[in-house]
Amino acid sequence: MRAWYVALAILLAPVGTAAQQPDRATGGSSLTGIFETANVSASRGDHLGAIANYRKLIEAGVHDPDVYFNLATSLAQSGDYPRGILNYERALTLRPGDGKASENLRAAEKALEERRAEAEGEAMIQRSSSISDAVYGGLSEDALAIALLVANLFFFVALGWAAIGRRRNGWLYALLVSSGVALLFCALGLGAKAGLLREGPRAVALDDRVVLREGPDPRAQVRGEARGGDRGEIVDRDRDFVKLRVVSGLEGWTPSAGIGFIDPDHGVH
Amino acid sequence: MRLLTLAFVAIAALPWAATAAAAPEVAVTLGATPTEVRVGEAMRLEVNVRVRGGGRIQNLELSDLEKYPELEIISHQTMRPMHFSFGFGSGVQKESSITNIYVLRPTVAGTYDFAPAVAKVDGKVYRSAPLTLVVHPGVGNVGGGADPAAVHGATVDSELTGARYDERAFLRTVVEPDEVYIGQQVNVTVYLYSRLRLSPQSVMPGKPSMDGFWVHDEPITSLQSQTVPVMGANYRAYVVQRSAAFPQRSGELTIGPPKVTFDVGGGSLFDAPERVQRVGVPVTVDVKPLPSPGPPGAVVGRYTVQAWLDRATADTGDAVTLRIDAAGLGNVQDLRIHVPPIVGVRTLQPAIRDQRHVQGGKLSGTRSWEWILIPEAPGEHTVPPIDLHFFDPDAEKYDTASTPALTFAASGAAKPSRPEIEPIDTPPKPSAAAFGPIRMYSALMRDETPVRERAWFAWLLAFPPVLFVLLMLGAGAARRREQQSSTTVVVQRQLIRNAENALQANDPRTFYDRIVAAITHALDSRLGEPVGGLPHAQLRTRLIAEGFDDDLVQRVINELEGADFARFAASGVSKDEMKRCHQRTAAIIERVQRARRKK
Repeated sequence: MRAWYVALAILLAPVGTAAQQPDRATGGSSLTGIFETANVSASRGDHLGAIANYRKLIEAGVHDPDVYFNLATSLAQSGDYPRGILNYERALTLRPGDGKASENLRAAEKALEERRAEAEGEAMIQRSSSISDAVYGGLSEDALAIALLVANLFFFVALGWAAIGRRRNGWLYALLVSSGVALLFCALGLGAKAGLLREGPRAVALDDRVVLREGPDPRAQVRGEARGGDRGEIVDRDRDFVKLRVVSGLEGWTPSAGIGFIDPDHGVH
Repeated sequence: MRLLTLAFVAIAALPWAATAAAAPEVAVTLGATPTEVRVGEAMRLEVNVRVRGGGRIQNLELSDLEKYPELEIISHQTMRPMHFSFGFGSGVQKESSITNIYVLRPTVAGTYDFAPAVAKVDGKVYRSAPLTLVVHPGVGNVGGGADPAAVHGATVDSELTGARYDERAFLRTVVEPDEVYIGQQVNVTVYLYSRLRLSPQSVMPGKPSMDGFWVHDEPITSLQSQTVPVMGANYRAYVVQRSAAFPQRSGELTIGPPKVTFDVGGGSLFDAPERVQRVGVPVTVDVKPLPSPGPPGAVVGRYTVQAWLDRATADTGDAVTLRIDAAGLGNVQDLRIHVPPIVGVRTLQPAIRDQRHVQGGKLSGTRSWEWILIPEAPGEHTVPPIDLHFFDPDAEKYDTASTPALTFAASGAAKPSRPEIEPIDTPPKPSAAAFGPIRMYSALMRDETPVRERAWFAWLLAFPPVLFVLLMLGAGAARRREQQSSTTVVVQRQLIRNAENALQANDPRTFYDRIVAAITHALDSRLGEPVGGLPHAQLRTRLIAEGFDDDLVQRVINELEGADFARFAASGVSKDEMKRCHQRTAAIIERVQRARRKK
């Protein structure tokens, strides 16, 4: 038995080493240099310089929650709250349960509201928060995927045993039910994370006023407008236009340049 | 299995149950900050209704606000801060709220009782708690919020300072005080005196030039007026500009002439509005230098300082946050604090935040610095006391506020020093919200394929159900074979039993008929197909091809031929012969069932 443990430890040792040295595995010294330069700029209050360097990292393929957090913080400190909100959302997508990112996201929303209320006397930011967000908000997609595999294995082993086994005790049914519930929970969570319960990718309005039109043409009739920081889903695309549906249900076509996708692989803003 | 079905049904019903059970939760609040002020000081009154669970807010009312004209409404904002929708995929519930924020400036001392604010949600009425505001009499000459008639009206007739009189309308600039120390606050108020019926929305004031001053403007969001007698006539006096100005150099500084344009008339289709412009006169302020000798870097005002560390212990290379707050009366933007170099500690450039507010016509506030201290050497590190020198213009003396020495311990290996971050003198952009600090360390992870999109994930996910299906198919096939085998045995036994009965009854024809049927049935079930119709020569070939041994094949053919012959010549068959045939047939059937076939 001890030999098995030793073999297992030898097999897992490289995995642990790799996990402890992500920088060596994933980033070069130049990326580290850009990150430090950006941090120095942010510490000096040079938000534009910091933003440019954090964006450089993202364009170089770095999709790290801390980089998105710092980018969002620099954007918010420079007064660009909608893009700050977008990047806090991205940081939270990559690392659900990041308390400071959630706190800053609320602070950015509040600051945007106050600025708008001061200028216009009234402010409202539309954001969606579904039950799936509340239930699965603290779990990462990968954790749910692994849990799904484990629950799937246990469920079908228990089901097979119950179907053809000769001895069927109470614990077998308990295992069957609990693994079935876990399987359903993980499947729903993974589906929600993968966007199967949505009609399109999540997005944030970046411009102060995002005009929503009847069709993908700047001459089309205006249906309404979304305000910077409003959340929605992209339900259709046509060339450089996207069809945005905001939380209130209003939807319309708008140039994609005024919209930021929360899933980081859709683009840098 | 029933348990499993129940569990699935319960889980499927969860979202529905959550929706059905969510009755609207309504909370109405009424509050003020502060609840006790002096005349002329601003206070913030906030009325809020928050609905959770899908209710529609129809109305939010604070009727007593109209009851007290003594509470001047400086500004009014309405906020609908959040709009949540809940549910898997689409909105099922929502959380909404409305907040009315009033900035009030009381003009008369007294106690103001507010009945509860009333909100109407989905036809139902909800109320807040009542509220009482206490306004004390003002102290001294409060330029910011004073009633212009009460403060300046009496002097207007005798000496019209800061104004060029016009019998229709004129501007007046009031500076208080007009002799100050450098850095001391000067209240600058521009009044529009008018006997014309003007439209308040059309009033567009132009700011007077204030070279040599740092200026904090108070926004005028609603134009309020008072009646003031000037030169024997009653004028409406409007405050169109109110600023707190801080002289940045000594000498005689001039505040330029203010300007204003507004429309008069236009009340009917036939009365075209007339655009009126007025220009005021410049006024001067005598600015004295600070008395000598004084401590270096002294600012003007009255301040207290506080300092603290966010932790007392840290690992080397980890961050410790040092925060210093300087609060008090004066222009906090003038405040400068430097943390001296600490041996073994790297100090990053601080994040600075300012909060300013006007209280009793005086600008006060708090400036907060946050330094990130990174210990690079293990051991105990001390932030030395930090002094803030200031000159109090009211007491006309210098004073100093100091922070205590703060200590923290660092453990772990020494970290190599990184390039120092040089401070630069860019003033921080004022921000109402705090977002920092940024994160100094990151794994800089690249875009990784999610687990669910990797190829092995689908295979691993499909493996258990596929294995289960194969297992069930195999078990089913085995069960069918078992059932078939048991059926064959029963038929076989029945045929043998029938042959025995025919033997007992001495009925050779029936006996041999059953013998042939029993052998044929044994072969059929063993080969999996009917072979009873085959000629014996063909049957022999078939059996040999299936791998039966020659002796058994020969015995089967002999017994079948013998039985066929005996069926048609039954009279010559003895009972003993039938018994022997029965025994041989039983042995043959047993051998057929055990015989191995070719694969």
